[in-house]
Amino acid sequence: MTPTELTRPPLRANEAESLIAFLDYHRDYLRRKSEGLTQEQLAQPLAPSTMTLAGLLKHLALVEDHWFSEVLMGNEEAEIWQPIDWDADPDWEWRTAADDSPGTLRALFDSTVETSDRCIQQALDEGGLDRLSHRESRRPGNGHFSLRWILLHMIEEYAQHNGHADLIRESVDGVTGE
Amino acid sequence: MTSIERVDPPLAIPEADTLLAFLDYHRDTLRMKVDGLSQEQLAQALAPSTMTLGGLMKHLALNEDHWFGVMLLGKDEAEIWQQVDWDADPNWEWRTANDDSPEVLRALFDSCVEGADRNIRQALAEGGMDYLSIKEDRREKQKFSLRWIVVHMIEEYARHNGHADLIRESVDGTTGE
Repeated sequence: MTPTELTRPPLRANEAESLIAFLDYHRDYLRRKSEGLTQEQLAQPLAPSTMTLAGLLKHLALVEDHWFSEVLMGNEEAEIWQPIDWDADPDWEWRTAADDSPGTLRALFDSTVETSDRCIQQALDEGGLDRLSHRESRRPGNGHFSLRWILLHMIEEYAQHNGHADLIRESVDGVTGE
Repeated sequence: MTSIERVDPPLAIPEADTLLAFLDYHRDTLRMKVDGLSQEQLAQALAPSTMTLGGLMKHLALNEDHWFGVMLLGKDEAEIWQQVDWDADPNWEWRTANDDSPEVLRALFDSCVEGADRNIRQALAEGGMDYLSIKEDRREKQKFSLRWIVVHMIEEYARHNGHADLIRESVDGTTGE
C-alpha cells in the first residue's frame, strides 16, 4: 500500500472548503499513523493508557457514523454497530479492534468516511454550514447542532486522538512526525 | 482539576463566534491538564517521547505569539523569545520549560493568550475571517486567512491536548477530556 499523502489545507478558502480540508487532513493523518503495522502492533497500548491504534481507527469510524449519519441526517446507525449492547459493553469498539486485521479496520474506516462525505455534501446542498442536525443534543434545552459545529467538533476530535496516535506510534516503532 | 471551568461551544452560532469558542475550549483543556501539578511533575515525560506538560505550555504560548502576533499582524515576537537563537537551539521552549515554576509557565501562557485575543479582535474588526495575514507562508509565498490560522490553532491545541492526555495519565492517573 502506498503511504497516505497529507494535503495541507488551502491557506485562503471559504468556510466550508476550509473545514472539510482540515477534516480530511486529520482523517489522512490517522491513516498514516496506523499504516505499515501488523495486527499485533496495532493492538499495542502505551501504558498506563489502554488506547491502541486499532482502537482509534474503529472508534473514529464509529464517531464518523454517529455524527454525520445518525445525528446530522437522522439515519439508523450502520449495520456493524446495531447488534452491540452499548450499556453492557461501552468500550466495544476499543476492545474488539484487537481481533480485527489491519485490512478489515482500514476498510471499515474508509467506507465509513465515504458515507460521511455523502452526508456532508447533502447537508451542505440543503442548507450550508448553518443547516441544523436532524437529531437534537441529548442535553435538554441545547437544541440542534449546526453542520459548522459538527465539522469543527470532528476536527478537534480527530486532532486530539491523533495526538494519542503520535505517542502510541512512537512507542510501537519509533516513528514520529506528520 | 476542578478549578478551571470550560465552556462548551454553543451549537448553532455564526462562524467567528464558533471558531473562537472552540479555541477557548482547547486553551482551557490545556490549563486543566496541567493544573495542580508540581514543577517536577510538569517536567515528567512519557517515554519514548520527550514531551512534557511544562513544555506543552511553553510551546503553545510560543505558538499563540507566533501565529496571532508575528504572522497575523506582523508584530515583533514577544520579548521572551527575542533572545533565543532558534537555529542553534530549535527546541528551546521544550528544553527550558523544566526550569520554570508552574506559576511562571501559567503566567506566560495566560499573557500570550491575552495578547493573541487582542490581535484576533483587531484582525476581525478589520476584515473578518477573510482578513489576510501580514506575513506570508515561507513555502507557498501566500498570506493566510484569519480563518486558516484559527482552525489551525484549534487542531494544533487539540493534537497537543491528546499528548497531554497520555502524559497526564502517566504522571498521576488523571484521565478525561
